[in-house]
Amino acid sequence: MNSPANSILLLGESGVGKTHFGAQLLKRLMKGGGRLGMDGQATNLEPFEAALESLNEGKSAGHTATSTYIDSVWPVVNALGRRAELIWPDYGGEQIKSMIDSRRVPNDWRTRVRRAPAWLLLIRLQQTRVRDDLFSKPLADLRSTSLDNRDVQMSDQARLIELLQMLNYVGDVTAEHQRSHSRLGVLLTCWDELAFDGTPAEALEERLPLLRAFIRSNWSTPSVMGLSALGRSLSKSERDIDYVSQGPENFGYIVMPDGLHSPDLTLPIQLLLGDVQ
Amino acid sequence: MQHCTRPTCFVPDTGCDLGHVSLSKCAAWSGQTTPSSAHAEPVDEVLLPWSGSALGLADLGFVAGRARPIVIGVAGSQNAGKTTLLGAWYLLLGRGAVDLGSRRFAGSFSLTGWEAVAGSLRWSPGRPPSFPPHTTSRSGRAPGLLHLSTWDIGLGRSSDHLFTDAPGEWFQKWAVNRDSAEGVGARWIAEHADALLLLADRQALSGESIGQARGALQLLARRVAAERQGRPVALVWTKSDIDLEPQVEGSIRDTMFNLMPDAAEFSVSVAPSSAEGNQVGVGLVKLLNWTLSIRRPDIVLPASLTTGVDPLFLYGVRSS
Repeated sequence: MNSPANSILLLGESGVGKTHFGAQLLKRLMKGGGRLGMDGQATNLEPFEAALESLNEGKSAGHTATSTYIDSVWPVVNALGRRAELIWPDYGGEQIKSMIDSRRVPNDWRTRVRRAPAWLLLIRLQQTRVRDDLFSKPLADLRSTSLDNRDVQMSDQARLIELLQMLNYVGDVTAEHQRSHSRLGVLLTCWDELAFDGTPAEALEERLPLLRAFIRSNWSTPSVMGLSALGRSLSKSERDIDYVSQGPENFGYIVMPDGLHSPDLTLPIQLLLGDVQ
Repeated sequence: MQHCTRPTCFVPDTGCDLGHVSLSKCAAWSGQTTPSSAHAEPVDEVLLPWSGSALGLADLGFVAGRARPIVIGVAGSQNAGKTTLLGAWYLLLGRGAVDLGSRRFAGSFSLTGWEAVAGSLRWSPGRPPSFPPHTTSRSGRAPGLLHLSTWDIGLGRSSDHLFTDAPGEWFQKWAVNRDSAEGVGARWIAEHADALLLLADRQALSGESIGQARGALQLLARRVAAERQGRPVALVWTKSDIDLEPQVEGSIRDTMFNLMPDAAEFSVSVAPSSAEGNQVGVGLVKLLNWTLSIRRPDIVLPASLTTGVDPLFLYGVRSS
């Protein structure tokens, strides 16, 4: 039977690379040699079929349809022989955006939030930014500018904080319980694009400091890791010959909390499931 | 769409103010549901009890459920920089430029409200930052409250703060007449704030109508002194980059500290503190740390003579 204790709530807006990570993770699990391996075969590979095909061809995968939400159950086994079933979702990231914008959480999502003891938040730092303000880019004389009303645009980190606050609320757990019992992993995707020298936590601190403070205040042991699911950027139309010849399972890496790289893409999952398996 | 009969509940715009995630479990909602309107409940999605905008009095129940938040009243005349001060704090928090000591940002139920006050201080495409537009004396009789939750690493507990964002006219009316109908909002702040920041506008005090600005500020200081009942007050010089005649500055100080000798004093400005590098303004972080350190006076229980450590027999007459 599926044990709800082993499902992971994967959170990521559109374009952060959920499908790429899912497909590459699947490849790694099937190949073995990592902290986690596949124990049998996944129930349903359909959500990742197209992505796997594109990667095998050395191309990047297409966009997941907005309304899609498919859970795929992956039987996994760790190095000690302990078995678990990992429930891995694939969905269009617009669902997250629409939740934040409409400030309403669909009941399906509420159920997922309540079932998953571990959340994995995918953030692509290139997609987020803290806009310049009068502190980062001072203006010689502010008093000469006109006063005007302008539309309120939520900053990216405020949106992500609001998302986590919303999910905490519908998850119906007390702040104290959450701090000590639930787990949160932050995965900074497309790490290769960042060209950042330092640990993932430092990158998050530099780019989204308020979100980092929020996470550290609300979870006792949040982990921040980096991910380059593909290892390099792929085009949708042109094939990458190395990919085709060596196979996509030989590309991609994780940046561990201490900044070291590891080719084992199952590490963040192992870390999140560590205590609940 | 059906509405809740409770005056503080705004279903379906926000979630149940009693905290029921599922409306069918709320007695107030179920009690009014008639069979014909039973389908009106949005069953396929969960509403949230906060809208993200600045909180009004009716929204306070949700934030105050855990513990009474510390209310920081930001008082000052029109254009003194009350909203700019709040916006600047939020921007500095968002940049990670504030060292809060053992505290850390832990969330806010008025993020949209904070973004709104900070929005005009940001650069947007083709538009330089400007000061926030005038805070209007809305029809509401209570100020907009901006919520900030912090987590204290040392103490291992969170605390909630509410900052008032109110129009200056309220304070001007209230300074003249405590019971003024237009100053009801200011009176609310004076009654409920755990600490008051009294903003002195250096621009107004150095401009053409010095006399008027000084008179208004002194009047407001007297009102605050009469109403504060021992609560902490800080005199905050805003726009501190502007020079002031020593006499004017001295007269404000005299009034303030004669009335409230224990008042704190700060100088703040959003103007660049140095020519280069990342800016944090002047005095803003220090003032924020002061406001966050405000505590309500503790209650000290009288020491009791006890005969032993067992709580059941704690009170008794010493036998020897």
